[in-house]
Amino acid sequence: MAARGTARRGAGGGSARGPDPQEEPPPPLQAVLVADSFNRRFFPISKDRPRALLPMANVAMIDYTLEFLTATGVEETFVFCCWKSAEIKEHLQKSKWCRHTSPNKVRFVTSDLYRSLGDVLRDVDAKSLVRSDFILVTGDVVSNFNISKALEEHKLRRKMEKNVSVMTMIFKESSPGHHARCKEDDIVIAMDSATNRVLHYQRTQGLKRFRFPMSLFQNSIENVEVRHDLLDCHISICSPQVAELFTDNFDYQTRDDFVRGLLVNEEVLGNQIHMHVTTEEYGAHICNLLMYEAVCSDIIRRWVYPLTPEMNFTDDKNQSYTHSKHNIYRGVDVSLGHGSVLEENVLIGQGTVIGSNCSITNSVIGQNCRIGDKVTLDGAVLWDRVHIADNVEIHHSVICDEAEVKEKVKLKPRCVLSSQVVVGPGITLSEGTVISLHPPDEEEEDDDQFSDDSGVNKESKVKLKGYNKKDVGSEGRGYLWKADDKNEEDEEEQRQSLWGPAMPSEEESESDSDLSMGSEEPDSRAASPQLDDIKVFQNEVLGTLQRGEEENISCDNLVLEINSLKYAYNISLKEMMQVLSKVILEFPLQQLDANLDSQNYFSALLPLLKNWTPLFKNYIKRASDHLNALCAIEEFFLEHDSLCTSIAKVLMTFYQLEILEEDVILNWFSLRDTSDKGKQLRKNQRLQKFIQWLEEAEEESSDGDQD
Amino acid sequence: MLNLDTKMKLDFVCISDNMDMGTADSLRHIHQKIKTDVLVLSCDLITDVDLYKVVDLFRTHDASLSMLMKKAHEPTEGVPGQKGKKKPVEQRDFIGVDDTGKRLLFMANEADLDEELVIKRSILQKHPRMHIRTGLMDAHLYCLKKYVVDFLVENRTITSLRSELIPHLVRKQFSSPASLQQGLDNKEEDQKKKEQASLDIYSFIKEDNSLLKPAPDNSCWNDQRGDMNETLHEGKVRCYVHIMKEGLCYRVNTLGLYIEANRQVPKLLLNLGLEESLVHGSAQITDRGMIGSDSIIGSSTQIGEKTSIKHSIIGSMCTIKDRVKITNCIIMNSVTIEEGCCLQGSVICHNAVIEKGADIKDCLIGSDQRLEAKAKHVNEVIVGTEQLMEI
Repeated sequence: MAARGTARRGAGGGSARGPDPQEEPPPPLQAVLVADSFNRRFFPISKDRPRALLPMANVAMIDYTLEFLTATGVEETFVFCCWKSAEIKEHLQKSKWCRHTSPNKVRFVTSDLYRSLGDVLRDVDAKSLVRSDFILVTGDVVSNFNISKALEEHKLRRKMEKNVSVMTMIFKESSPGHHARCKEDDIVIAMDSATNRVLHYQRTQGLKRFRFPMSLFQNSIENVEVRHDLLDCHISICSPQVAELFTDNFDYQTRDDFVRGLLVNEEVLGNQIHMHVTTEEYGAHICNLLMYEAVCSDIIRRWVYPLTPEMNFTDDKNQSYTHSKHNIYRGVDVSLGHGSVLEENVLIGQGTVIGSNCSITNSVIGQNCRIGDKVTLDGAVLWDRVHIADNVEIHHSVICDEAEVKEKVKLKPRCVLSSQVVVGPGITLSEGTVISLHPPDEEEEDDDQFSDDSGVNKESKVKLKGYNKKDVGSEGRGYLWKADDKNEEDEEEQRQSLWGPAMPSEEESESDSDLSMGSEEPDSRAASPQLDDIKVFQNEVLGTLQRGEEENISCDNLVLEINSLKYAYNISLKEMMQVLSKVILEFPLQQLDANLDSQNYFSALLPLLKNWTPLFKNYIKRASDHLNALCAIEEFFLEHDSLCTSIAKVLMTFYQLEILEEDVILNWFSLRDTSDKGKQLRKNQRLQKFIQWLEEAEEESSDGDQD
Repeated sequence: MLNLDTKMKLDFVCISDNMDMGTADSLRHIHQKIKTDVLVLSCDLITDVDLYKVVDLFRTHDASLSMLMKKAHEPTEGVPGQKGKKKPVEQRDFIGVDDTGKRLLFMANEADLDEELVIKRSILQKHPRMHIRTGLMDAHLYCLKKYVVDFLVENRTITSLRSELIPHLVRKQFSSPASLQQGLDNKEEDQKKKEQASLDIYSFIKEDNSLLKPAPDNSCWNDQRGDMNETLHEGKVRCYVHIMKEGLCYRVNTLGLYIEANRQVPKLLLNLGLEESLVHGSAQITDRGMIGSDSIIGSSTQIGEKTSIKHSIIGSMCTIKDRVKITNCIIMNSVTIEEGCCLQGSVICHNAVIEKGADIKDCLIGSDQRLEAKAKHVNEVIVGTEQLMEI
């Protein structure tokens, strides 16, 4: 194909330029490939190599993405690089994509200023790079999806209703619990099954219940389908409007922001998002090491056919493999020692030498590796030029370029050795150990960076620090990125973020708790909790009295206010009395706070009682009111044991202020049907004295009457 | 009326008026008579559904419950006596079914929901595709397993099938009995408190599964499509629903639906091949030609000259005189309609008398009412004070 021109006005390393194709009736299909993740999930691995270049079954991830785009008919791809852009550019310029024969023209746009996908798309808009619908992917998508049908649907929708549908997202159907479904990238979608319109899009990480706003069901959609069996491929067909919308809404950083924003504002903006679900084809987005491992094994197991290792789609002569049964792939010049077994799903790169009596299964081994004798590799991913000494055992771990594992080292699952790290001899790395030549605290220095760039030149500074021999072995080189006691949580996070949250054990417990939640779900038949009017009323009364105290409002007005409250909350006179007594008795507690002491308490209460005497008198009229008030007082003192001693004084005050009458107090005292605590209270010495005094006083007065 | 040849054995159980019994109470009342799985339906259901579809669903899936639903009818014509076109503000039901449209996964009423519809993750984990349907009408026809009835007997708090038992069963599908066992140890008191509620439906199922226990482990059959982790631990409570796509299904619980159902019944009878029964043999009709083919005339009814009857149901022992026009009406037994009346879209109850030349449109006339000659009524409810008919 002839070299194509470019409508690009922006900066960036160019490839071939040619005549402008704009006049051609069907505009060539364009793609925007974002070769940066704008996060640090792959730290420390991506410190040495950008994520897009991480080898996936010995081929850089970006090659898969480009192959997918080319195979699906994309003719022009804009590769946006940021972190380590030079490396990406160099890699691609050597690859088949930049040859003249390539049907897919690759153009680079580099800038250190990109901080998010939003920035990239705003730049796309500013530079008017796209002329028509384009495909938006990130540099870590592996897929064999044929976009043509989805594109057709997308175009048809755009034609039917002009500019309403702005984006079509591609999903792959896969059941929950599928190994390629990453917990952290899991989504639940509500769609209109008639039109494939996305109504609701939600990430499900950490959610036990999914909430769907009622507005989804309000309109004329007859059948709303809730789907939790979808894997987001992170491939979307976008109209040029998408880039414009990113420009208009400069707070959109990620595609999630965009989707959410569009769905929420659908009524305002009138834009819709649709979806396309594929059942047959493969598509996955590598967002963490767990996904990395899952996709790796999918490639080896030929799920991504025709993107299999022996196809050598990158057309690199170092990457030719022969495929034999049980999915064993061997490169050129691989030597396998006597007694070594390749069980199944093994990929061995060119020039690798494997010693004798090894057992290798479900593993990927890069080029020019040296593997000693009696080595066990299970689910290991070895990059290029890795040295493994004798008697090493590696389970489900990733070992980057030129790392070295000395004799008798054992790597438990989910270990990561980043490039040039040396471990051993004779140590065992516990689960989830991450070792890198970059010390972890280096990270803090470039905290201002949002993108995973920088930190390159700072190595010299921190080299001064020695390696901890305990962590990496006597001959080891590298810093441990995990298991530092001081900030264990941080490190835990780190490991999690590298590997992703889906650990099988966690999953188990989660589903368990989920189930139990189900059974604990409140029955609809359970009585609904009664609205506690009294509580509210009590608070209101308290507020009123506080205001009365502060602003010196007269008792008459207070009575008016409380009366109106009483009616508003429909409070009976009895309840009213109890609440009032309680509120007033509790009043000093607030002022005293900590030093609860019966002396202080009483001295604080006394002026209040004096002030509010008319209040009480207003409500306490009949004998039963007196008794109610007394009960409330008793209750209060029962609740506040420490103040018990002042009960006599309080009652005395009430008596002296002529709020309570003596025979009612006596009556109350002799009440029989009280609780044990109440009886205890009545044994209070001072109270008994007070009662005695009252009794005597009564006798006297009655005596006096008789006289 | 009831044919004695019918193969069905009928057993009437009377419930006294002054007992406030719900549907579940009634079922509990007769539980001793229920020896096996049971079909429960309400008397106001008129349908030509093939019952085997509901029952098959019940049997194939060894379900705890299977029920019948149908897309709700849009009210076609106004209801007599209804002023204005007020749109009934109904509480919609949200029904979640799986991909096959048979498994009932979720059920909620709008009244119980706030701003959001909440679906538990565990449900979607097992059934990742759920269709949320609104606008379905529950036909109140349920197939229940025997153990559900047993459960009901123990759980005296449940009074209604539709609003309590069914949602409870639907929810129980996705809660595990195991975790309940744990809860039993932890909070014995709690257990006692809600003994009835958590004397859980599972405890009623166990017995009949003891024989079959190894079966699910050895068979590759299973009933779910989602997460296969727990395939073989599929909950033992399973609810299914048959959603009628076409056919007749009415729940006659409003006047509007009553009229609508009456309109549909002639078609139903025609479908059953009972054409001749539309006009009863003992009816005396002067102008046969004026009677529409979709009208029903009861026994001993007399119809005068030049009287036309269309889309209407006439009861027995009625007297309809000459030159009367009746369209879209339901006329009950022993009604007298005198000469020259014109009736449209109305319901006339027993023993009413409509005198000469009355013109009635969209009205509800109560029993024993007498409308004067030349009276003109539109959209009215005319009933005796002592017997207000419930609308």
